[in-house]
Amino acid sequence: MKEFAVFWGCTIQTRFPFIEKSTRIVLDSFKLPYRDIDGFTCCPEKSLVNNIDHGAFVMTAARNVALVDEKNYDLVSPCTGCVSNLATVQSELKVNPREKDEVNSLLKEVGREFKGTAKLQHLIPFFHDAVGVHAIKQKMKRDFTGMKIALHYGCHMIRPSHALKNDDPLNPKKFDNLIRAMGAESLQYMTKMMCCGQGLDRVDEHDMALHFARVKLRELKALGADAMVLCCPSCFLQFDNNQFLMEKEGEKFGIPVIYYTELLGLSMGFTAEELGMTSHRVDCAPFIKKWEGLPAPRGLCKHL
Amino acid sequence: MLDATLNFKLLEMCGRCGACFSICPSCVNIPGYDPRAVIKDILAGNHEKWLTSRHIWECLECHHCLEICFQHYGFENAMTSMRTLAAKKGIHPAQVKRGWDMLVKTSRLGEPAMPARKKLGLPEPKATGSEEFRKLYELLKKRRLEEHQADKSGE
Ligand code: SF4
Ligand code: SF4
Repeated sequence: MKEFAVFWGCTIQTRFPFIEKSTRIVLDSFKLPYRDIDGFTCCPEKSLVNNIDHGAFVMTAARNVALVDEKNYDLVSPCTGCVSNLATVQSELKVNPREKDEVNSLLKEVGREFKGTAKLQHLIPFFHDAVGVHAIKQKMKRDFTGMKIALHYGCHMIRPSHALKNDDPLNPKKFDNLIRAMGAESLQYMTKMMCCGQGLDRVDEHDMALHFARVKLRELKALGADAMVLCCPSCFLQFDNNQFLMEKEGEKFGIPVIYYTELLGLSMGFTAEELGMTSHRVDCAPFIKKWEGLPAPRGLCKHL
Repeated sequence: MLDATLNFKLLEMCGRCGACFSICPSCVNIPGYDPRAVIKDILAGNHEKWLTSRHIWECLECHHCLEICFQHYGFENAMTSMRTLAAKKGIHPAQVKRGWDMLVKTSRLGEPAMPARKKLGLPEPKATGSEEFRKLYELLKKRRLEEHQADKSGE
């Protein structure tokens, strides 16, 4: 497997270092050739930067990609937004040689060059395609048979498809495949593909952001989901933090929000504490208690 | 101004279509959010009134409209171009400005949470490219200014 740089992004490192923790635990356990490299900046966040200055958006992303190109690495990120933004610029520059020359004439001033050779992937398609369901199953000590999991893909894991090219942008399958491979039921629900709505919190519309979280959480509560599983810090902020805020005001949902690498880590025998899950705002204990209480499937050891 | 960011041919088709309204999460959930109205006004040359509307910031950039669109175009193009125009005039949510200022100053949208990292046993975060980023951003601004002046003297 080709070496790859991990692009952690601002949100994980600023707000959710425990996501970095479980991701590193999993990457280490699979002995994947991941690298931390110097020099990354914000990806940058499209909704913020692109609206104000498209040139700065392109230049910043192109510079981040150039750092990976230079080392002849690929790139993997546990943040959907980061990958989507970097890939959007990479594809724009690939079809627009004039713009690419302009950016490179800037980057040249600091000794860099955007080539666009690095493969840019989000963690989920990466696990699906490069690690593979078979290898994942081999590492698992216990599966999630009997648990109902509601996946939230995160729009930017799969869209825009012309830049990411990794799954069906309207009816994606890869995350579902990974969850089913772990033995869990992947709930099919009405609002499954609806955007989390966290973007509204970034434009001073907190109440509307809460409304978006509420729509999904209500449906999941009615369906009796044991947890929501996702793989994006922005969506995590929306469903963990904002759910907690609504619960504080008296609206009860009780849906634990679990990051993909946390779920995988649990199945590999790591504890919730080791994975940093005790830092979530919405308590994950009910999920773990139910799981531990289920009869152990034959051939897999129940006690970790 | 708008023709620099919008393809009017596609937009005209879009103005006659409207199909993606029912799959747009903001259209479905936010009262008054309707890119069809914005597009109609852009095509009629009446877009100014939208520049101060909070609705143009409520597009989530989820790209659902883009993916479902028969021209791979999407409502979002109209909304993005309106936001860009509004931002040029200095009209934007306060938080957007705060985020932008932080990016320009530090090259990131926040600093790594050091105490929590320590507790979790995470390694030192890698160095950021903030100095290089700032240098490049200054260069970008300088080049634009030069181009602008060259354009002016050429007129
Ligand atoms: S990107 Fe399109 S579908 Fe998504 S919120 Fe914006 S206008 Fe609606
Ligand atoms: S974005 Fe595409 S699908 Fe949506 S209204 Fe416009 S033309 Fe129709």
